[in-house]
Amino acid sequence: MQSTQVLKSTCVSCHGGCGVLVTTENGVITYLEGDPDSPTKGTMCAKGLASLQNINHTNRLHYPLKRVGKRGEGKWERISWDEALDTISDKARHYIKKYGPNAVSNSQGTGRGYVRYTARLGKSIGTGNANWGSAHICFFPRLQAFFSMFGFPRLYCDYHGWGGEFPKTQISWAKQIEISNADGEMGVWFLDSLKHAENLIVIDPRATAITSRATLWLQIRPGTDAALALGMLNVIINEGLYDKEFVDKWTHGFDKLTERVRDFTPAKAEEITWIPKEKIIEAARIFATQKPGCIQMGEPLDAMHNSHSNGLAIMALLAVTGNVERPGSMVSWLPPESGPLEDFHMEINENVLRENLESGIGHQEYRLMTPGFANAEKVLKQLREGKCPIKMLYQHGGNFLFSNANTKNVYKGLLNLEFIAVADQYMSTLCEMADIVLPVAHWLEDDDIWDFHPRFLIRAINKAVDPPGEARSSAWIYLEIGKRIAPEYWPWKTVEEMLDYQLRKAKIKWKDFKEMGMLARMGEDQPYYKYKTDIWRKGGGFPTKTGKVELYSTMLEEMGYDPLPYYEEPSESYYSTPELSKEYPLILNTGGRIPYHFHSQYTNLPWIRELQNYPRVQIHPDTARQHGIKEGDWVWIESPRGRIRQVANLFGGIDPRVVVVQASFCYWEKEGHARFLTSNANVLTDDAGPYDPAVGSVNLRALLCKIYKVKDDDPLYDPIE
Amino acid sequence: MNRKSVFRDPQLCMDCKACIVACKVKNAWSPHDRLEAVAEPKDLNLLWIYPNGPVIDPKGKVTQSFVGIACMHCEKAPCIEVCPYSAIYKDPEMKITLVDENRCVGCMACLWVCPFGAPSFTENGKLVLCDLCIDRLREGKKTACEATCQARAIVVASPEEIAKRQSKKAVESIARAGAESS
Repeated sequence: MQSTQVLKSTCVSCHGGCGVLVTTENGVITYLEGDPDSPTKGTMCAKGLASLQNINHTNRLHYPLKRVGKRGEGKWERISWDEALDTISDKARHYIKKYGPNAVSNSQGTGRGYVRYTARLGKSIGTGNANWGSAHICFFPRLQAFFSMFGFPRLYCDYHGWGGEFPKTQISWAKQIEISNADGEMGVWFLDSLKHAENLIVIDPRATAITSRATLWLQIRPGTDAALALGMLNVIINEGLYDKEFVDKWTHGFDKLTERVRDFTPAKAEEITWIPKEKIIEAARIFATQKPGCIQMGEPLDAMHNSHSNGLAIMALLAVTGNVERPGSMVSWLPPESGPLEDFHMEINENVLRENLESGIGHQEYRLMTPGFANAEKVLKQLREGKCPIKMLYQHGGNFLFSNANTKNVYKGLLNLEFIAVADQYMSTLCEMADIVLPVAHWLEDDDIWDFHPRFLIRAINKAVDPPGEARSSAWIYLEIGKRIAPEYWPWKTVEEMLDYQLRKAKIKWKDFKEMGMLARMGEDQPYYKYKTDIWRKGGGFPTKTGKVELYSTMLEEMGYDPLPYYEEPSESYYSTPELSKEYPLILNTGGRIPYHFHSQYTNLPWIRELQNYPRVQIHPDTARQHGIKEGDWVWIESPRGRIRQVANLFGGIDPRVVVVQASFCYWEKEGHARFLTSNANVLTDDAGPYDPAVGSVNLRALLCKIYKVKDDDPLYDPIE
Repeated sequence: MNRKSVFRDPQLCMDCKACIVACKVKNAWSPHDRLEAVAEPKDLNLLWIYPNGPVIDPKGKVTQSFVGIACMHCEKAPCIEVCPYSAIYKDPEMKITLVDENRCVGCMACLWVCPFGAPSFTENGKLVLCDLCIDRLREGKKTACEATCQARAIVVASPEEIAKRQSKKAVESIARAGAESS
């Protein structure tokens, strides 16, 4: 007899969050689709739907492995879970005993629902060098800018209309939330909310699909976002279009901001950003007068050496227009009854000694960055120089060889780590550098609790099928490692007990939650205008030192940084490095994102690979003609760091001086270094600084390059010297 | 009559290709296949998306569209008329164009006459066409592609409903143009 079951779960193919229905027959998945009754209304993207092809994929890791050849040689031996976990924990204890907790680092890639386990593991070890992946170039600069201005780290676009209004003006700033957001669940909310919007302003160097629907498209020179925001602030303040009541009552430092933007005229902003000043003025007027409004801010703002200031400048636009906490503007949502799931690691913050945080790599310089996060570029430089205090890395997912600046330098740094253990679903190029490799379950094979960026709901990830071989869930692996290294902080016998613990504030157990599928605070349960209540501060106010939105940040002032937003010219450009631009005459933008890839993932799935065989570099047809390049030609893109090849896509939607390179393309089918050196955009990016003074981020988005056709006898890639 | 037709809005489409993969899940998923990516993958697509543009006017207004091409389920389908083996036929209720693969000999005459280039052929040379997820429609569900589309660019409905939707958009745009000029 056939038994057909339909299971509700949550997709985690990006950071995740879309509700899914998984049909199984006799324990085999036969269908996968969006759940029409979930907040994502039945929609799913190509990545999520192609998840099915992970299940029986030939290249999935089945067993824990230990390296038997030289590092990176690819010789492995199958070992037991006990041996793998004991080796990792023995190494950790050894290094902690010999050098202290900061010698041990545990890190991860993108936020795939196990962030809280990674953070708790680091804190239970007591290391001040826990996470050194990409946080400083992805999301944390925005979080920390929110924190320094508003006193809390999260404000989200109110696409939901729970307060009776939808955004009338929407700005999509360096963002393609509609196709390539890390939190895919927000795409459908954004697109549906456009029905209610009168104005859509798109700020992007490229004419993306959504620009056809825009009221105004500001084609910005890559890396100059803060100049645009300062120019818009100049208009709004000079023309008296700001929200006087909100500014008077609820902001601190408006006079100092006024002074700062006084010289930032639209004409000056035009000169820097290449956007006609009429458009800058029009955008400013629309945003200030057509309210409510919200701004969706993208990761490219973080991947610059003035990232925190990019955040501050754009957030100041929200504050002076009063687009904070009112329905249809930007809101900080309250979590459901479970409380914020990050309490799972925050509750043991005190286990990391102050001195260990203070001596964390980069912490003294980059005080605005969350303590406990080591700066990747510094770590890797110290490793290359053979004087890094970090001796071992436990890495769960992610791949520095794709995510971080200057891939060849990343590789050389990683070679010098004494011990590396990596958990992944596939033998990634980072796994190939490891001493121990652990096989991880896919979300279709996993039970866990998923929480997401806007924080107003949590969902159940429900296991539909068994993982291949001995692959195990992320939660199980973290619990087992945690128990071995710091048992007092990992007291649970089973994963289920650990999940029960995380749900305790909602007074439910995992087995109940599994059935419920979701716990949410939506609709009337979400309060607006929280600064007028006791929620953040007794008697009302924002949770900052002054109780107000700090346009002039007292926190940044105390840390010794510029308390106001400022503009800084990209580290490589026609203006900052005119000599270099003679040899490398084009602007290199590495922001090319593909809706069906998530960083280096999914190019190994047939359904995804059929959509695009090879990565594409977008070149303006005029520029291509000058270089004798035709559509479909293989092209070298070369920067002072090295060169990669991609296929030319002649695209009229960019400035002829800009080329947009596709990021993170991984050739899973190739052997060795060809996988990550052939077309990976970060081979071109610069790890040598300058760095953002407050968070340590580096310029990945606005550099210089030259392009030329690949010749038949050229090598596939340039090897690491 | 419960005729169904499909409308893919080239202006709303974001070129994310979720519809193509949703179609694969529905029509090409074999749970027991062992998979690995190959460098030059070949597979069957019942649906593809073609970009148009961008065209940018001197004011910076962008016109760009993405046209989804699959079987249009023509009322007077040239493929049905040309097929010498009567392998292509209409579902009597919803007027969806369907293929009887036992009758198809793979002569590809349908490909000669299809104005949209919609016919695809399996490795055995048999014609496959989008069947508009007729089984899902019969269960009262949306087609796989319409259900998954975040941009709401795909609508499967009666021709009258689609016409009404388009008229509504035209009315709104004329009203907007009128408001701007006044």
